[in-house]
Amino acid sequence: MQKNSIQYIVVFATIVCVACSALVSVTAVSLKDRQDANLLLDKQKKVLSVAGLIGEGSSPTAEEVEAIFSENIDMQVIDVKNGTVAEGADIGNLLAYDQQAVSKTTDGGYDAPKNKAKVARIPNYVVMYTIKDGEGNPAQYVLPVEGMGLWGTMYGFLALDTDGNTIKGLTFYKHKETPGLGAEVDNPSWKAKWPGRLVYGESGSVDIKVIKGAAGSVEEAPYNVDGLSGATLTSNGVTNLFEFWMGEEVFGPLIANLTGEGSNA
Amino acid sequence: MKFLKEIHDKQHKALFAKGKPLEKLYPLFEAHDTFLLTPDEVTKGASHVRDGLDLKRMMFTVVIALMPCMLMAMYNTGFQAFTAIEAGALPLNDWQTSFYHFLGWDYDSSSWFGCILFGAIYYLPIYLVTMAVGGMIEGLFAVVRGHEITEGFLVSGALFPLILPATTPLWQVAMGIAFGVIVAKEIFGGVGMNFLNPALAGRAFLFFAYPAQLSGDKVWIAADTTVDGATGATLLGIGALEGMEGILASGFTWMDAFIGTVPGSIGETSVVLCIFGAIVLIVTGVGSWRTMAGCLAGSLVMALILDGVGSDTNPMFDIPFYWHWVLGGFAFAAVFMATDPVSSAFTDKGKLIYGFFIGVLGILIRVINPAYPEGWMLAILFMNMVAPLIDHYIVKANIKRRELRYAEK
Amino acid sequence: MAVLGKEERKVLFDPLFNNNPIALQVLGICSALAVTTQMDKSFIMCIALTAVCGLSSLSVSIIRNYIPSSIRIIVQMCIIASFVIVADQVLQAFAFEISKSLSVFVGLIITNCIVMGRAEGYAMQNPPWASFLDGIGNGLGYSIILMGTALVRELFGAGKIFGHVIFKTVNEGGWYNPNGLMLLAPGAFFIIGFMIWGIRTFKPDQVEMEG
Repeated sequence: MQKNSIQYIVVFATIVCVACSALVSVTAVSLKDRQDANLLLDKQKKVLSVAGLIGEGSSPTAEEVEAIFSENIDMQVIDVKNGTVAEGADIGNLLAYDQQAVSKTTDGGYDAPKNKAKVARIPNYVVMYTIKDGEGNPAQYVLPVEGMGLWGTMYGFLALDTDGNTIKGLTFYKHKETPGLGAEVDNPSWKAKWPGRLVYGESGSVDIKVIKGAAGSVEEAPYNVDGLSGATLTSNGVTNLFEFWMGEEVFGPLIANLTGEGSNA
Repeated sequence: MKFLKEIHDKQHKALFAKGKPLEKLYPLFEAHDTFLLTPDEVTKGASHVRDGLDLKRMMFTVVIALMPCMLMAMYNTGFQAFTAIEAGALPLNDWQTSFYHFLGWDYDSSSWFGCILFGAIYYLPIYLVTMAVGGMIEGLFAVVRGHEITEGFLVSGALFPLILPATTPLWQVAMGIAFGVIVAKEIFGGVGMNFLNPALAGRAFLFFAYPAQLSGDKVWIAADTTVDGATGATLLGIGALEGMEGILASGFTWMDAFIGTVPGSIGETSVVLCIFGAIVLIVTGVGSWRTMAGCLAGSLVMALILDGVGSDTNPMFDIPFYWHWVLGGFAFAAVFMATDPVSSAFTDKGKLIYGFFIGVLGILIRVINPAYPEGWMLAILFMNMVAPLIDHYIVKANIKRRELRYAEK
Repeated sequence: MAVLGKEERKVLFDPLFNNNPIALQVLGICSALAVTTQMDKSFIMCIALTAVCGLSSLSVSIIRNYIPSSIRIIVQMCIIASFVIVADQVLQAFAFEISKSLSVFVGLIITNCIVMGRAEGYAMQNPPWASFLDGIGNGLGYSIILMGTALVRELFGAGKIFGHVIFKTVNEGGWYNPNGLMLLAPGAFFIIGFMIWGIRTFKPDQVEMEG
């Protein structure tokens, strides 16, 4: 066959395509398990770190993470609208559940009312991680939260005490804030200011606020947290995020059920 | 005097001329020589690539035009700090405040001498560091490249401290001016070749590198305003959060902002003194009235548009143009920064267009961008980059017009 | 260096300084700006790019005499793209954290002009072994600039080297006030600019003719 004839080109292109696709598929298939395991491990680590079960900066092995996670944590699917545990709901592997992606589908979520956190869609279901104490009783609830910062949405987890009010921890694992200013939302020393603060005031409204300047100790200012210096808008973003997720629109019913009379959690 | 001159000329021939031992240091000698004495050589060719204007005359004119702003800079730095302290803020725990205290003066905002003294203790070190570091770098490049040290830096060096917050750490001042001189000027070949304004480039560097010291609401007043009851935000900072009501409720009037007794960068606050500077620059022909008029028109148009559009979430939209003109650094930027003859457009029509878009962009950034409460630095730097393009098209249009005229004949 | 002849050494080491793909040819700038905030991130990126560049040059060279010229670019793209996907998959499986922070930039190796440039410019005319070395050499040239940029950015932007604290920052109770510009993409732009300035000052023959 002539090198520049149509037949040659077609045959050559076919061979190259087949060879390349074989290479790609073999790699993809043979590595799939490892990649999936990595994704789940990543989520487990995030949950463990907000619950304070693995320390800042430590790097436990996959087995350790797996062990701590299965020993200390129960996962439950929560029906957001009713604020109840949705026993029958099938959302696949709970760890692999991608709340943001699912909420965008017509069946997976609904339009959020206008809110300052600029969240567009609320998922029908979220996964709640219950951290157990030594005797197996719930000690903390970890819930996913998100909200607009300055440059983009900040994604994180919030850990609450069983009273549904006392904050145990707050971490952001993904954000686009300005390095050195807003990006300090994931600075350990700022995160350390959260445990012990209260979400709801005496009237039951969401009172927690990131204020300008220093707020003082937990006893002095249970509803205020130090602002990030030079990053007013990121600070406000965190405040708005609480106002939205912890308010009636999203987790309000859930918190009421978890703590109130006739709790079914 | 003649004696001194003879020594100088002799030294020149013996030491600094080509092939003599200190040949490399000729630029240093030359700077000294021409500054003090009339040299026995005259400038050959244009000393300024794009403008035949004598640099020394220009320099003095700009510095004279800036003089009132510098004095006001010192007074207002003290006045703002003392006013804040009287309202409950604490004196800063730094060497400047300690030194003032050591001199035995009180924090009293009604004493103009105290205010100026306090301000001078903050302003002069910044000025000296700017001059020393910037001058040293200029000298170094002049020696390496074998060209003469020009006086152009004295203007950049006078402008740079005035656009910083009073509390800027001195090492940051040094880094800022070093960046401005090296990256905005020397890389492109030195005075007259730079397409960016060195003072603004230096400030932009600091703004992005050390935002905590260059923005926010703690840095503008040389006193600790984080305590209860005190506020350190600039009027623009207040406006960004609370809009016009916040500005009116802050206790500052339009007149305060016009006179310049409001928090802000050291020397940018006083609109009335900028107007004085503008008159000096325009009358002497050093600064272009076209650029300034362009800025004024551009900001007016943009402010009116945004005011008309309105916004529920962004209170800055509602600030009327006459407030925009007295807030922040608009006047200072339009008069002293935009008119820099090297980095601005060169043609007459080009200057109008250049100024107009600085006005438009400055207001746009100020109002719409949440991260940058002030827009002039970025607007001017951006238009600096576009200026050659504007000139190119103006010149081309001109050529075309003439061609048509000839074609008709 | 018994393994490599004189010519081969030249092919391998020339791209480091004399003919650096970033500093002289100014290619591959996009990822150089994006992934250099931390050294470990850049290190993985460098390995990925060097591997892709070497392997794709090798493969293109092996079949160079059979590629019809009318579809040669698309064939090269196809081969490069396959290796990039493989590299991306491997990173996701074995270096998950870093692959996550590199996000799209591993995938964007496909569009990196260095890889394409070597395949078309060198591997199409030269035997496999030399092409492989050329690919690796250019990958290393890219890596040197990347690691240098990342060193400056991480050290001055966060006070760290490979994640180890060198200067303790003010926010963590130390003395160092990190330079925020270093963490923004324009910071890398300035650093690479300074590097090019430096290299050209010592090697004036790299300066382009004007006009």
